[in-house]
Amino acid sequence: MPTQLLAAYPAAAARYDEMLEAPNRPRAHWRAMCEQLAAAPEAQMRERVSEIERQVRENGVTYNVYADPQGTDRPWDLDLLPQIIPADEWARIEAAVCQRAHLLDRILADVYGPQRLTAEGLLPPALVHGNSAFLRPAHGISGPGGVQLHLYAADIARAPDGRWWVVADRTQAPSGAGYALENRLAISRVFPDLFRDLKVQPLARFFATLRDSLAQWAPQDGSAPMIVLLTPGPYNETYYEHALLARYLGFPLVEGHDLTVRNGCVWLKTLSGLQRVHAIVRRLDDDFCDPLELRGDSALGVPGLMEAARRGNVLIANGLGTNLLESGAILGFLPAICERLFGEPLKMPSVATWWCGEPAALEQAIERLEHLVIKPAFPQIRMDAVFGQDLSEPKRRALIAAMRANPDRYIAQEQVRISQAPVWDRSQQRSLKSGAIGVRVYACATPTGYVVMPGGLTRVATGPDARVISMQRGGGSKDTWVLSTGPVSQFSLIRRAVTAQDLVRSSHNLSSRVAENLFWLGRYAERCDNTARLLRVALGQLIDDVPDTPGSDSSATVGLCRNAGLLPREGCTSSSDIEAALRRAVTDPEVAGLAAGLRQLFRVAFQLRERLSLDNWRALNRMLQSLARWEHEVPTIAEALTELDQAAASMMTLAGFALDGMTRDQGWRFMSIGRRVERMQFLCASLNAGLDMRAGAELDWLLELADSIVTYRSRYMARPQWLPVLDLLLRDESNPRSIAFQLLGLADFLRRLTDTYGQSGAQTLTPLIDALNGLDASRDLAPDSAALRSFMNDLHSQSFALADRINQRFFSHGDEIVQQMQAA
Amino acid sequence: MVSSAAGNAELVRLRVVHETHYDYVSPVTLSRQLLHLTPRSTPYQQLTAHRIAISPHAAETTGGSDYFGNPTSHAVITAPHQALSVLAESTVELRARAFDPDTAAVPAWEEVRDMLEAAANPATLDAAHYLFASPHITLGSAVLAYAADAFARGARLLPALRELTRRIHDEFKFDSKATSIATPIDEVLELGRGVCQDFAHLMIGCLRSRGLAARYVSGYILTMPPPGQPRLIGSDASHAWVSVYCPRADGAAGAWVDFDPTNNCIVERDHITLGWGRDFGDVTPIRGVTLGGGEQSLNVQVTVSPQAAVGD
Repeated sequence: MPTQLLAAYPAAAARYDEMLEAPNRPRAHWRAMCEQLAAAPEAQMRERVSEIERQVRENGVTYNVYADPQGTDRPWDLDLLPQIIPADEWARIEAAVCQRAHLLDRILADVYGPQRLTAEGLLPPALVHGNSAFLRPAHGISGPGGVQLHLYAADIARAPDGRWWVVADRTQAPSGAGYALENRLAISRVFPDLFRDLKVQPLARFFATLRDSLAQWAPQDGSAPMIVLLTPGPYNETYYEHALLARYLGFPLVEGHDLTVRNGCVWLKTLSGLQRVHAIVRRLDDDFCDPLELRGDSALGVPGLMEAARRGNVLIANGLGTNLLESGAILGFLPAICERLFGEPLKMPSVATWWCGEPAALEQAIERLEHLVIKPAFPQIRMDAVFGQDLSEPKRRALIAAMRANPDRYIAQEQVRISQAPVWDRSQQRSLKSGAIGVRVYACATPTGYVVMPGGLTRVATGPDARVISMQRGGGSKDTWVLSTGPVSQFSLIRRAVTAQDLVRSSHNLSSRVAENLFWLGRYAERCDNTARLLRVALGQLIDDVPDTPGSDSSATVGLCRNAGLLPREGCTSSSDIEAALRRAVTDPEVAGLAAGLRQLFRVAFQLRERLSLDNWRALNRMLQSLARWEHEVPTIAEALTELDQAAASMMTLAGFALDGMTRDQGWRFMSIGRRVERMQFLCASLNAGLDMRAGAELDWLLELADSIVTYRSRYMARPQWLPVLDLLLRDESNPRSIAFQLLGLADFLRRLTDTYGQSGAQTLTPLIDALNGLDASRDLAPDSAALRSFMNDLHSQSFALADRINQRFFSHGDEIVQQMQAA
Repeated sequence: MVSSAAGNAELVRLRVVHETHYDYVSPVTLSRQLLHLTPRSTPYQQLTAHRIAISPHAAETTGGSDYFGNPTSHAVITAPHQALSVLAESTVELRARAFDPDTAAVPAWEEVRDMLEAAANPATLDAAHYLFASPHITLGSAVLAYAADAFARGARLLPALRELTRRIHDEFKFDSKATSIATPIDEVLELGRGVCQDFAHLMIGCLRSRGLAARYVSGYILTMPPPGQPRLIGSDASHAWVSVYCPRADGAAGAWVDFDPTNNCIVERDHITLGWGRDFGDVTPIRGVTLGGGEQSLNVQVTVSPQAAVGD
């Protein structure tokens, strides 16, 4: 036995220990893991830890993200060691969670229906009518199949005697299932053999079951059901998870303004018109869902959603109003309700909880305050849990006075010493800490009853205050391994078979918002590439040249930098000032430049997370992190050039993903249009700057900016001259960096959009293409050609006009501001 | 207290025209309206004629009823527009209410509170909908203190209610500029002024903070012109008052008795009931959401006129 490792593990004082049954003696289901940990070489353990860290970082797993890498996003904290639950114990948890999900669903059906429980005295009216989470407009909506609670989560914890207790119910939009999935991907990768040998139950089937059940219940109209995931948007603390689940389940990720209600049905606004939505998995809170009938100040919801639900035209998971049962005040009434509805006792007790609205309970709570935790009775009341034992005498008195004034608003809960589990100490070599744990267990409704995810999200609190487990307070997490004794269970999928008419070739449900984001993704990616090249050329010239000679080639690039905002318009004329400013522009996100451009790119990519592959995302993340190292200093010129080389290469990688990894659907076309518009504008500005140089100036920089120097050298073996340079950069249709290539590509993409969406303005490019073809090689490919200059002027103005037209034609959201009105 | 002019047996017929007009600076492309503009039918109120006209024409209109049993209409306007008019015309017949507050044996208010808390029969169970704080009516210490005089220990419920109605009428000044629909009742208490909604909310707050069941009633009132002067057409607005659950001492099902703190009266046949709820938010006459529109201006006109009574 690995006594050395275990001997140093802190013993549990009056707590259940998940790993040890006695000092130095692991429980049966932990033995294999303990042996593995003891046997693994030091280096392998370090590798495992850094592998997890790398996955979390590169996948960008975050919680509490505010979409901005500068914001308060926190990387997901995942422990190396899983929480392990043996099969027999899991069977009991599973049965209890199933029963509880079913019970809560029946209570919702009663509260939003006949309200017999209040009439029979099993549920105090205050917990319904006095609960701000009770949504009156939802009364009478039973939901397809009579189910309200499609996805449920129970937060469970273990008492010192080894029994599991339910601490809280998540009935509205349980979060964390996606993180559980992410944890599984990371941990199963570092313990592949153990994972197989212990027969850990996989999670994938649970998600398939959820998806298929929703599809089965969704209102039918002959077409394949469209299920969307409704998110409050990138500023939500668990947006990462929304994007992950949407991608995993194959549901479009939508925001409130992507949906509209017409004729009592919900529709997704797409570029090709309105597409019927049959089911909505929502991560938006109840009262924000419909500004017409619920909170009028909600800008996130869908006006009319309640009416669509009332008419039975859309399935909403979970049903509107389900937040009601997240009230801890209900816990104390569940045993009697369970007996009444099912004729059987509750299989897993709730942590002893009293609602102070009952006079006897209030007096009890006040009397035993030092043993209790006081919490708000209703989810809408904002208040942190208060531990009676922590209170000073004045605070104690103040709390009691508040409880007496509004007893309905409080619950008192027994303080439980929850179990501890080992946590791998990353700061020490081969050492275990202990942490208090709680597990969130998920269940989903299916036409044949509830199914429980064999696993869950285990949360750990390791700090000095291990009494509260909360991700918002910076707790960690663990993968949750449910072991099986037999072969890993297979339950039948209820999904109907995919038939030929279900085959989807291009997604026709591209929302206007997504199309716009893709367009900008293309533009920003290209802009970053251009910025990196321009900075590289400009800094390179500072090393090579003697600057400050009017008409020299560096004056052209300096001019370009000024126009691009990389240098100030005025001042900053000495070469040392220019150099300092350009070095800053590489790494400082506060000034226009590469770092700032990457942030913009990241922000728009974040909005598209569910559409970008993981590889794409990793490349982007790596680039940002590389530049973030320079937060407090300015790189030397050599360091700056190294960063720029790397950035140029990474941008190539991103472009490669776009070419090689994305299907050629309309979304891809919007992204490509964005890229080409941006490239054309940059090329046009670069060429104009070059054409304005004095005669005989060097042209190498222009070829470098256009990444065409290799082609040029292979063709001409001579120092660059205007005629071949202009031929290559203007007219050569095979050069992906030429004006001709951009124009022809844009015309082609726009024509393809026309096929799907009608008039897109492709024909406006025809005069430019004709003018380009009309340039005479012997006469017009020279700086002094009037025809060339006139073409360049037209190109410049047309490239900007084109971007405006696309914006107006496809993305115009000017009239989409939702306003509320009330009149007496 | 003002008392109703009509004799007890008489049927009063009133006609109400309620016009709401919105103007928008920029076009509205989609408008969705939830209307509480149809008078509710009750034992004392019968709706004999009713229509709602919306301009521009609504692409969809659906009738229904809300959680509290009030009639509603849901309208969707899809034609782009820069002005919206909603016209509601109703004729109702009002008869004397069965419950005579002057003679009924209503117990002391503490007894009523305890009956409500026990919620032991269908009537008190129904009243429990109106016992708690609601979005426009928070229950703080200020409202509790305000009604303390009227609700002395052992005070009979009905006299206490009359006293509270009188106090609010006497101590608050009607001022349509002082408050908005979002003004909390604590602020109304401090200001000492407001409109009928504010007075109704305040009175309800006073009652609920004592454990009594009170609901917000939305409707109209026939305002009598001073003798010799013509009625001012369009000067009337929609009105609001308070309904309080009053059980009988013998345990028989009680009744909801309506008090109008704005006019210091018990509601009789001058009041047309649209509907009731916990507060203004549940029965807002017109509540809508628009796409676009920019700045909006609102104009509301209500005209209530007596019709020839039945049999005249």
